[in-house]
Amino acid sequence: MRDEVFNPNPVVFSAPKASGRQSDLLAHSLWVNDSPSSDDEADDLEPIDQDEIYDLIRSIYDPEHPNTLEELRVVSAPQITVGTNRIKVEFTPTVPHCGMSTLIGLCIRVRLLRSLPERFKVDIFLKPGSHQSEMAVNKQLNDKERVAAALENPVLLDTVEKCLSNVDGHELDHA
Amino acid sequence: METTEKLVQTWMASGREEEIEEIVSDIEHDRTSLTDVVKALGEYLTAEDSNVLQKGVELLSLIVAKCPTGKLNKQSVRVLTAFFCGKLDDMVTVKPALHGIATLVSLPTISPAEVTLIIEGIFQHVKMRALVQDIRFKVFSIIDTLMAYHRDVLKSYGRRFLDGYIPLAEGEKDPRNLMVAFAIARVLIIEFDISEHVESMFNILFCYFPITFRPPPNDRYGISSLDLKLALRNCLNATPAFGPLAIPVFLEKLSATSRATKRDTLQTLVTCLPVYGSALARVWARKLWNALKLEIFQPVDPETEEEALKATQALVKTIYADEEEAMESNEDMHGLARDACEECIQILKEPEKSQAKPATKVLCTFLSTTPSVAKYAISQAIPHLNQLFRNPDEASARTATLFLLTEMIKATRDSAAKATETNSALSPYKDDLLAVLTVGLKSQSTRNIALSGLNALCSATGLLSDEEYGYVVHNASELLERSREELDESSDLLIELLKTISDIAPRHVVEQTLPILFSSLPDSAPARTDGPGREKCWQILSAVAKLCTQAELFENLVIRLTTKLDLLCFPSSEQVAAIAADPEPSAAYAHMILKALYQALASKAIMKHVDIAKYLDRLVPSLFNVFVSSAFLSEERPMVASEPRLIEVAGQIINLVVQSVPLQKQQLYAASLSQALLEGDVRSIAYGFQKVATTRSLSIFNEANTPAQRNILHLLASAVIALHKEARLSLTNVDAFLDMLIGWTLTVADNDLQKLSALHIVSSIVNRQVDELLSFLNNKLELFQAAEICNQSLSLDRRRWAIKAWTWLTKALLVRKHALAMSFTEPLYERFNDEAIAWDAAKAIGEIPAADKVLTKANHADVKILYVQRYVGVVLPRLIAFSKDGENPTKQTASLVALTSLIKSIPKAAYAHEIPSLIPLLLRGLELPDSEIRSNIIDTLLVAAEGESPEKSLVAEHSTTLVNTMLKNSKVQDMPSSRVRISALRYLAILPSIVKYEVLHPYKATLLRELAVVLDDPKRSVRKEAVIARSVLFP
Repeated sequence: MRDEVFNPNPVVFSAPKASGRQSDLLAHSLWVNDSPSSDDEADDLEPIDQDEIYDLIRSIYDPEHPNTLEELRVVSAPQITVGTNRIKVEFTPTVPHCGMSTLIGLCIRVRLLRSLPERFKVDIFLKPGSHQSEMAVNKQLNDKERVAAALENPVLLDTVEKCLSNVDGHELDHA
Repeated sequence: METTEKLVQTWMASGREEEIEEIVSDIEHDRTSLTDVVKALGEYLTAEDSNVLQKGVELLSLIVAKCPTGKLNKQSVRVLTAFFCGKLDDMVTVKPALHGIATLVSLPTISPAEVTLIIEGIFQHVKMRALVQDIRFKVFSIIDTLMAYHRDVLKSYGRRFLDGYIPLAEGEKDPRNLMVAFAIARVLIIEFDISEHVESMFNILFCYFPITFRPPPNDRYGISSLDLKLALRNCLNATPAFGPLAIPVFLEKLSATSRATKRDTLQTLVTCLPVYGSALARVWARKLWNALKLEIFQPVDPETEEEALKATQALVKTIYADEEEAMESNEDMHGLARDACEECIQILKEPEKSQAKPATKVLCTFLSTTPSVAKYAISQAIPHLNQLFRNPDEASARTATLFLLTEMIKATRDSAAKATETNSALSPYKDDLLAVLTVGLKSQSTRNIALSGLNALCSATGLLSDEEYGYVVHNASELLERSREELDESSDLLIELLKTISDIAPRHVVEQTLPILFSSLPDSAPARTDGPGREKCWQILSAVAKLCTQAELFENLVIRLTTKLDLLCFPSSEQVAAIAADPEPSAAYAHMILKALYQALASKAIMKHVDIAKYLDRLVPSLFNVFVSSAFLSEERPMVASEPRLIEVAGQIINLVVQSVPLQKQQLYAASLSQALLEGDVRSIAYGFQKVATTRSLSIFNEANTPAQRNILHLLASAVIALHKEARLSLTNVDAFLDMLIGWTLTVADNDLQKLSALHIVSSIVNRQVDELLSFLNNKLELFQAAEICNQSLSLDRRRWAIKAWTWLTKALLVRKHALAMSFTEPLYERFNDEAIAWDAAKAIGEIPAADKVLTKANHADVKILYVQRYVGVVLPRLIAFSKDGENPTKQTASLVALTSLIKSIPKAAYAHEIPSLIPLLLRGLELPDSEIRSNIIDTLLVAAEGESPEKSLVAEHSTTLVNTMLKNSKVQDMPSSRVRISALRYLAILPSIVKYEVLHPYKATLLRELAVVLDDPKRSVRKEAVIARSVLFP
């Protein structure tokens, strides 16, 4: 499908330690807890936030490299904004001429399509100024019909499935 | 004679085992002789008819095989040998003849003359190619046996033996025969003069290299590919004479594409090179290195790379081992090591390139070759990398450079550790290294690598001086003062470095690091609203807990933290009012401090440090002092340390310390504990800053006393449960004491902490002294359950606690496999009909074999192995029978509850054999309304699913039920407990991997639709599982 490698030697960042989500740190209880799950049965609401969206997309594999989007810093938590029923995801390709950008965007779109309640509308954009053909890619990624058409292509779908074979550290086994 | 003749005739017709047995037993009892047998066989042995002839020889060989050794004297052996050898030339009789010879060669009576005869016979007449495998195997076995017992005779043959043997072994293909042939070949090569046969030996051995044999499935001979490889390798490395012929073969095989071949060749090279010798290695060095380099710099997989590195190491070792003495300076280093080092250094000029890592690996392997090569490699690499690091033009490559340096340091340290010498090779460069690494510490991007480099440097034995350790500690401690955000990722590595140093030079850490850490801990608790402040406290505390395990450091930690604890619990007069108004933040802070102490102690306990015991006189009394004083003072005002959560952690600390105290000291301590328990005199266990603890007396069991004082029982219990069997409390009447404790639990105690503490004491005393308590136990068995558990006029809560008390008594008996344990479970089954407490009784059945923290080996309890299996063996079949019995619904339900609770608390292996009959019951149990039971069941189903596959699934027939029930349990509207929802979703996520796709296909659409709803669950952890469960359904 592709014979050209757009970025043969990307910078791989070590995955930061799971430092806990921002909101948790602030709402920390007075007591040091051994088992963080003990407050599980409490019935407070935990709305979907940017960390959660980030958790969903950071484990996606790059189509070109055996690394995740998190390790390549293609996606990051601050680049995600969450509204009541609207989510905006921005991502940064590793090089401005990266021909994989559309595919990466498509993977993000499919992952969120499968993992978010239907009430959300998701917009996916390249980081402004990070890509040569930014407009074209953005347009393609946010056009419902084009996304649907792309997923009809079995070869493309197969590549997308490969990139999505890991959900938040949980390796999926498609038997 | 006549009988023998008859028997022979019968056998010739029948071929039965019985006749042989009879003949042999006749020979044994001197009723007949071998000569008679031969006479009786006479006509058959000379028969014209080949069938008859073959049978005749066969009978003789079978009799010889079974004949007792004593009956085969020299004379008969000679005759038989001559006879059998004479039959070797005939294709008809060769098989039985070889069989007979095989028996004869293992006899002690065989003489060199016969051996010669046999060898000549085999060499002359046996045509290996015409024979089937098992006959060829006989030939090899005969030679193998002769090689073992008559090697000198074979040797006297000289080259004629080899001339004869080589054609025999040529072309053999069967792995069973090859194993013997390789063993023979090794002896031949080592002990015989093969100088004229090197080439032919080489040919008959190297034709098998590399072994590609793969045993057929269920191979009953059990010869693995590895067996053959090792056997062959032992031949290939048996003589240096193979060297010149072998190396080209190895080089050729190395360029093959198969990974298995590459790896085999590399491993063989490692064993062969030292044998083939340095002269040859030097000749081929260049070519070998070029081939190896390819495997290292463009490895096909990590294993091959590893093997290639080992081969390189072997090559270098072989070349330079002999010249070790001649090497005086680096100038003397010539040849491969020099070239290879230079090549690597050339690559290292660009440390950020991907080739730099393998180049470093090569240099690192050189470090464990010969000292002079190691010295040379270090002298080339380290200064080069140091210089690179300092070069401002290369600043961008600093991380990579430091990484490579760290690898080098680690390799030097490890190679020195193997050779048990000092790290002298690094010492000329240690100043430079220290300088470079400390510079690395300053910048964020290189900090992590620099820390692990320093760690490697510090752990190299005998390299750094005390002052230098001080310097490292100084630099590391400076880092601690930086902001937390900046340090975030490095703090673990930093603590690790300090920990390494604290084992070697604790003084520096105590003097330089600890003051910084402790001074950043506030004396009073962060305010209720100060979340980040609390977070910071906890981070510092967990850092010191991790760091301070070395004896000197731990002592410091104990002093600092107990002082802090005292300040918190007994604030100065101006703060008293403020803290008494809201003691919770202070209590939470004190809780953190106690937790940190516990964590440090727990990691010391895992490492079995001996200095823990001495804290019985230091830490334990001051903890008692704090809590007892607080209990007294709490009558006047709210106290920080009367919080039960603090008491719990303090109990854990006391427990750990008492556990590690030796028996004799425990006995003394037990006396003090008894005084405190029975008379309320705490003077000998609770001394410390607060005088009030020692001036008043504690009366835990007095009904009129305060709950705060009663809570102290938990601390005492934590000590009591860790006592040895021989260190007893001084009780005049144990029965009465236990009865009092149980009665107190049921009538006086106010909370779970107190009740459980009392029951723990009861349980551990029963466990250790059961033999003296039989009347107490029998009394309980008769009266207690009637009076307390079955007594419907008592409150439900009291009856429940009576069951708890019962559980703990049974536990004490069960862990030591006491016969009474099983009788103690009986009354619980009877309660299954009692609707009020059926479920409690049922859950107790499951709790009895569950592991706990009281009756453990660490606590010196009497614990026998496999007690769980014994319990399950009796209880599980009964419960299954009860649950299937539909006549009594209350009992049936209770049995289901008991079943789930039991399965939850035992290892899978204990119930694995019952899984097929358990699954329908578990599915029924999912209908029970209790959410804890449901989540237990789903967890059990998850455990049961491990090792299942779609082809062999136990749950396939239940898939409709499973899908529907799990979906129902995963929705927040139907199931309020998030734990159950998570378990249900996890089960849905594994279902596709344990059930065939065809079975699940009809549910796919439903699952996708319903799970889409769960994606909007209010709980984050539930949504996460839903995402996974839904993702696995996509193609």
